[in-house]
Amino acid sequence: MDDALLWHRLQFAFTITYHYLFPQLTMGLAWILVYWKWRHLRTDDERYGNAVRFWARIFGINFTVGVVTGIPMEFQFGTNWANFSRYSGNIIGQTLAMEGMFAFFLESAMVGAMVWGEKRLGPRNHFLATLGVAAGSWLSGYFILVTNAFMQHPVGYSLATDGTLRLADLQAYLLNPWALVVFLHNQTAAVVTGSFAVASVGALYTLRNRHSAQAALFLKTGCIIGLVASVVVAFPTGDMHAKKVAQYQPVALAAMEGRFHSGPMAEVNMIGQPNVKERRLDNPIRIPGALSFLAYGSFYANVRGLDEFPEDTWPTNIELLYYAFHIMVGLGTIFIVLMACACIQLARGRLEKTPALLWALMLAFPFPFIATSAGWMVAELGRQPWLVYGLLRTTQGTSEVVSGGDVLFTLIGFVGLYFVLGVLYLFMVGREILHGPQPTSSTGKRGAAHG
Amino acid sequence: MVETWYAILSFMLVMFIILDGFAIGAGILQYAVGKTDAERRLVLRAIGPLWSWHEVWLVSFGGTLFVAFPSILASAFAGFYLAFFLLLWSLVLRGVSHEASGHLDDPLWRTGWHFCFVASNILLAILIGAALGNVVRGVPLDARGRFTLSFFTNFGVRGHVGILDWYTVSVAVFTLVTLAAHGAVALVLKTTGPVHERSKRLAKLLWNVVPALLVVITVESWYVRPDLFPGMLRQPFAWLGVAGVLGGLLAVFTGLRTGREKRAVAGSCAFLAGLMIAGAASVFPVMLHSTLAPENSLTAYAGAATGHGLAIALIWWPVALVLSIGYSLFIHRHYAGKVRPAEDTESPY
Repeated sequence: MDDALLWHRLQFAFTITYHYLFPQLTMGLAWILVYWKWRHLRTDDERYGNAVRFWARIFGINFTVGVVTGIPMEFQFGTNWANFSRYSGNIIGQTLAMEGMFAFFLESAMVGAMVWGEKRLGPRNHFLATLGVAAGSWLSGYFILVTNAFMQHPVGYSLATDGTLRLADLQAYLLNPWALVVFLHNQTAAVVTGSFAVASVGALYTLRNRHSAQAALFLKTGCIIGLVASVVVAFPTGDMHAKKVAQYQPVALAAMEGRFHSGPMAEVNMIGQPNVKERRLDNPIRIPGALSFLAYGSFYANVRGLDEFPEDTWPTNIELLYYAFHIMVGLGTIFIVLMACACIQLARGRLEKTPALLWALMLAFPFPFIATSAGWMVAELGRQPWLVYGLLRTTQGTSEVVSGGDVLFTLIGFVGLYFVLGVLYLFMVGREILHGPQPTSSTGKRGAAHG
Repeated sequence: MVETWYAILSFMLVMFIILDGFAIGAGILQYAVGKTDAERRLVLRAIGPLWSWHEVWLVSFGGTLFVAFPSILASAFAGFYLAFFLLLWSLVLRGVSHEASGHLDDPLWRTGWHFCFVASNILLAILIGAALGNVVRGVPLDARGRFTLSFFTNFGVRGHVGILDWYTVSVAVFTLVTLAAHGAVALVLKTTGPVHERSKRLAKLLWNVVPALLVVITVESWYVRPDLFPGMLRQPFAWLGVAGVLGGLLAVFTGLRTGREKRAVAGSCAFLAGLMIAGAASVFPVMLHSTLAPENSLTAYAGAATGHGLAIALIWWPVALVLSIGYSLFIHRHYAGKVRPAEDTESPY
């Protein structure tokens, strides 16, 4: 790997990983806000109105950071991956343009009025604006996932005489089976992130004995949606995704599981360290047959190991891919257990009197962010060494006119700028949470307790 | 087909410059027209909640360039690498400072973010101007259709040019002044009180400078790209653009003199749109002009996407456009008219 390629990859990896911390919360919270807003409209219960107002302010901060870190992503296709853009722009351009035209216009028109315009819009139009933001953010997610799905499992294209790809079938491209499965999996994961954040703030207020009515609402909504989403993200959507990987990227599946050798009764490795040089997994703890069952529905199915594939098609970083996959699956399992316990206590009416569980819920909110980031690392590291699977290698996709020094310059710039953004974000969101969901007074001014 | 997509892209860029130009211009003038914190916040309220919808015109322009002219996008984005990241960072700063400034009712916090807002808007105007200057002047495209630009070389406009030379810098200055003038007439329309009065004085001043600078830029462009002006004569769209420029100027002057605020804003929009249309029409079909050899230039015909992708996009694109404008009208009608100081000390709109 020459220097420029390394910096191109690192910059994209860094900016996309950082960026995606924000939209996942946006997409997860959006429908929770729509639900509360709808309840408020129907029942006129101010608990729901206050919940929307409180979370909308956090949503606004989160949305802004998501937008400003998202704009560079769109442009980096051209600046850093010019050859990839030349090669597949005819196809992925469709969804990138659709995202701007159908999704961003919708979200960006509605979001300012949704966060600040409740009085001006009136209840019904404010509900519509909230709905518009939710729909726009999920639409945007779909278009990006279709774009990514083309890179993972290209469909609907033909090869032009100049060696680039051209669109052959828009319907096939937009309804890529890979995209449909990933959309379900990824969006449910976003709901996990959103519901954990809501439950976490509810637990914090309960433990501090403050805002008790709001805290109870946050806990109830967060835990119930959190349990449903945590289950669905694993089964059926995660399972469906794994089967797609087994079908279309078997070499990535082998690497994810640290499976160096083929054979039936393939085991799931719960813990273990891949030793690529020696072609084995060190210190493994295994469940025999489980991988065969998960990938192909039978304990005796043969799951191909890395040894069956030419080495130049192996993912370039097997160790990181393996760990990312295991972190995602491990955390996902813990999420189900945590939310199941919380819901049992909730049903018994005892959640507010179970401090250990409240502590766990309060501290759990960062882990969905880690799980989704790990999940995306699985997808993107598993795709290597291909940029467009089976068609274009990552080494062929960069902008050859841009020097490694230029990319490192901008990468350092991003690291600095995004560090400042992160500190600012935590400060502003932390401040909103400390202030809490106090009802607004009739003048529109917020409570005097505001620091 | 190629002409249609070229027109669509020009339209999107015009929309971005006109709409986001209000926010950029008002942002540039925030300190000039707002002497107190309340007045500076009034400027943000005048910009209104649709500012990010305005900015999306640029993002969607990028997406549409991708679908219609992928190889031009690839050459231009990689070639303007460093300039693009400066543009992106100033967009990041602008968005964040706009959002952050509202969140804390604290003088130090506000002052810091307002300063950041003004600085990023000035930088943005300069970068947009320099970019437009680069498109007119051309870039050092080689025979393979690739180029790379450093920030500056010898500040000359021929051969191995840089992003900044005497021509692109003067276009950047012109853009800065023009967008400020554009923002000023918008602030006149949207505000009352001291901000309104200061905006009016500034608008009159700036709109006297704009025509003078326009003459300078026109003469300079004649020197840099003598081939453009004969081209303009053959393009009816370029005549339309020139008519927009002249009519717009007239409307701004009479509007400002007689206090017809809406006419001044409409005139300012026509002026900006006219300039962009005249420019886009006279460079067509060349999208990237080569300063090394004219035969290396990339035309819209050579850079357009092939196959039926463009025809399909022509079906969904107008649908999306109508929806998008519908969304903005849905919100806009709640925010029409002059803005008043906020009751809620933390709400930006």
